Amino acid sequence: METVSVVPEKETITEEVKLITGSEALMRSLVAEGVDTIFGYPGGAIMPVYDALYDFQDQLHHILVRHEQGAAHAAEGYARITGRAGVCLVTSGPGATNLVTGIADALIDSTPMVCLIGQVGKSLLGTDAFQETDVIGVTMPISKWNYQVTNADEIPEIISKAFYIAQSGRPGPVVIDITKNAQQELMTKPFQYQCCQTLVSYRPRLIPKQDQVEKAAELINNAKKPYMLVGHGVLIAKAEKELLAFAEKTGIPVATTLLGQSAFPADHPLYAGWLGMHGNYGPNVMTNECDVLIGIGMRFDDRVTGNATLFAPQAKVVHIEIDPAEIDKIIKADAPVIGDAREVLNRLIPLVQPNDHTVWRNEFRKYDAIEEEKVKRPALAPTTEKIKMPEVIDLLSKKTNGEAVLVADVGQHQMMASAYYQYKRPNSLITSGGLGTMGFALPAAFGAKVGDPSREVIAIIGDGCFQMTIQELGTIAQSKLPVKAIILNNNYLGMVRQWQQLFYERRYSFVELQNPDFITIAKGFGIDGHTCNHREDLSASLDTLLNSDKPYLLEVIVEKEENVFPMVPAGTSVASIRLE
Amino acid sequence: MTTYTICIFTENTIGLLNRITIIFTRRRINIESLTVSETERKGVSRFTIVIKHESREAVEKLVRQIRKIVEVLAVFGYLNEDVVYNEIALFKIETPLGAKPLDIETINNQYKAWVVYWGLDYVVIEKTGTEEEIFTFFEYIKPHSILEFVRSGRVAVGKTEKGLVEYLPEAEWEYYL
Repeated sequence: METVSVVPEKETITEEVKLITGSEALMRSLVAEGVDTIFGYPGGAIMPVYDALYDFQDQLHHILVRHEQGAAHAAEGYARITGRAGVCLVTSGPGATNLVTGIADALIDSTPMVCLIGQVGKSLLGTDAFQETDVIGVTMPISKWNYQVTNADEIPEIISKAFYIAQSGRPGPVVIDITKNAQQELMTKPFQYQCCQTLVSYRPRLIPKQDQVEKAAELINNAKKPYMLVGHGVLIAKAEKELLAFAEKTGIPVATTLLGQSAFPADHPLYAGWLGMHGNYGPNVMTNECDVLIGIGMRFDDRVTGNATLFAPQAKVVHIEIDPAEIDKIIKADAPVIGDAREVLNRLIPLVQPNDHTVWRNEFRKYDAIEEEKVKRPALAPTTEKIKMPEVIDLLSKKTNGEAVLVADVGQHQMMASAYYQYKRPNSLITSGGLGTMGFALPAAFGAKVGDPSREVIAIIGDGCFQMTIQELGTIAQSKLPVKAIILNNNYLGMVRQWQQLFYERRYSFVELQNPDFITIAKGFGIDGHTCNHREDLSASLDTLLNSDKPYLLEVIVEKEENVFPMVPAGTSVASIRLE
Repeated sequence: MTTYTICIFTENTIGLLNRITIIFTRRRINIESLTVSETERKGVSRFTIVIKHESREAVEKLVRQIRKIVEVLAVFGYLNEDVVYNEIALFKIETPLGAKPLDIETINNQYKAWVVYWGLDYVVIEKTGTEEEIFTFFEYIKPHSILEFVRSGRVAVGKTEKGLVEYLPEAEWEYYL
């Protein structure tokens, strides 16, 4: 590993005299790295670290979760709102395996995370010792990097490397497995921490090659019907301003992916909507109409492309992406630009000609009118007795002026949260996009609130999802942070039910839930809440939720068999999008 | 099916073989042969992996995924004509009393193979060459009753004039395929 010779003063801690334990070295490394929060759960193999943490409580705010999966998702929520790695601290064996879902989720959604995991002592490795699991083997395919520390001296260097790898390039989860002896023993040399800033074998390209940028600019300048798809990479690169400047100069309509939501203001005239399986009508259909398609910080996920061979076959593709492995993976790029979205946009802006594309942009509006008529209007002014999910999100959007952070779980309510909230600020929709992890929202909302207490954070949760990580109500109650949660309760695993209705001849196979009384459960945890059953109470119910200065749970009983439209049936072309 | 030789330069750390093979497993690509050794540079290992695949595009994607591994310094995917390559094979041949004697002259001169060990009633013959040359020799020697046969797996160097020093440590985002 290379370390740099010039290190900012505050990041260097030199202790000349006293030798410290591996556990204390870990604490000092985290402090030096600027970590302020740890989501964790103690246990046998991590006890020396927890003992050291006792003396560092003022610098490292530790949050005791109720299940390690909650720690992982909370760390993801924290990372998604702050842009810094979320930190998990758990024990060996079951502590580690309970993190696995969260680690896989963080990898596929490019979320920086550092998981510090206890392990049995070095002499016991491979002996099937109590709570021993091969964590390195288990997490190898689902982490960006992992490493087993077996002696105390390695700790500062490995921790700095872990944070560097997790947070740089295309971010991702890093797993550090620390044997108990490494936690307990004294370092043999004085503790010294240097922030890792470069590695020989790992060199993410941030600055694009000029010839790639020029080729992209040429395609864009010659385009008659250009169209931009922006993803999570824009938010990760903090390139929202550059994206806005680029869009306004070129007049190119902008659509976002699910995770790209809030990278571009929803009330901007150039904003076309979002695309994907349940995205807007125009943005989906127009991918097959445009002549140049510009993908920025996105990976042409199958939920975006539908049948990839039928996706934008007529278009020249400009693909701006930091991960070279994403180029040509799904969609062939005519002009790939490898680099950080912000660095690329900054270089692209001076090379593109000002344009307007009014006629082309108006073509989107035709589709918008049809979607408005067939989908949105009926959804927002329903004649049903029960409340519909879109009404809730729409009203919430208006009451919060589009400025809250929604943390959506996975399913119908997730799609509604994406479709009906008018996101005005970056990093405002936090959801499990790639892995589709049910149970993500409650702990992730908590993590987001910890990361940025100044923002209103509202979890949008289905009744199925809620019961997967319901125990994190205890974490929220103990923290006293005003995390708000709305359960959209239809007594069904709604998205699966929708598929069964549309594609499996209404054979509803194990999708109906007998639910507990969620409000009683919340109250049992010391969290206040109430149920809203009627449309006329919805506005007041949302006010109660929003005005609470404590954690609050609002359960909204919604229409049982509501479907999410538009919908591109799996494996078909985006042109086969259904509106009903 | 086309044969590809994937050369991977890595840091020499524990578990790297696993990290690399996971990528093949996930894409259901079978490994025909695999060799690993340290290079002329200390701490840098070289993996030579031979695969057969009908899609060049799939191999390109595989190469990019391997490049993503943090400890991987550089990856090159080669067609057979781009590399000088060889394998070594050992044949343990039964030589009981009264059996047809081995034609050492033919083995040496025609097949460029050498007896490297004389046992009491067997010999070990070493044959270096391409997979095809080894199998040609295999066919020739088969009537002599093969007790054991082992191949090393391919080792290969690219035919470009570049040396390792030219892409390490400045491993560029280039994929030679």
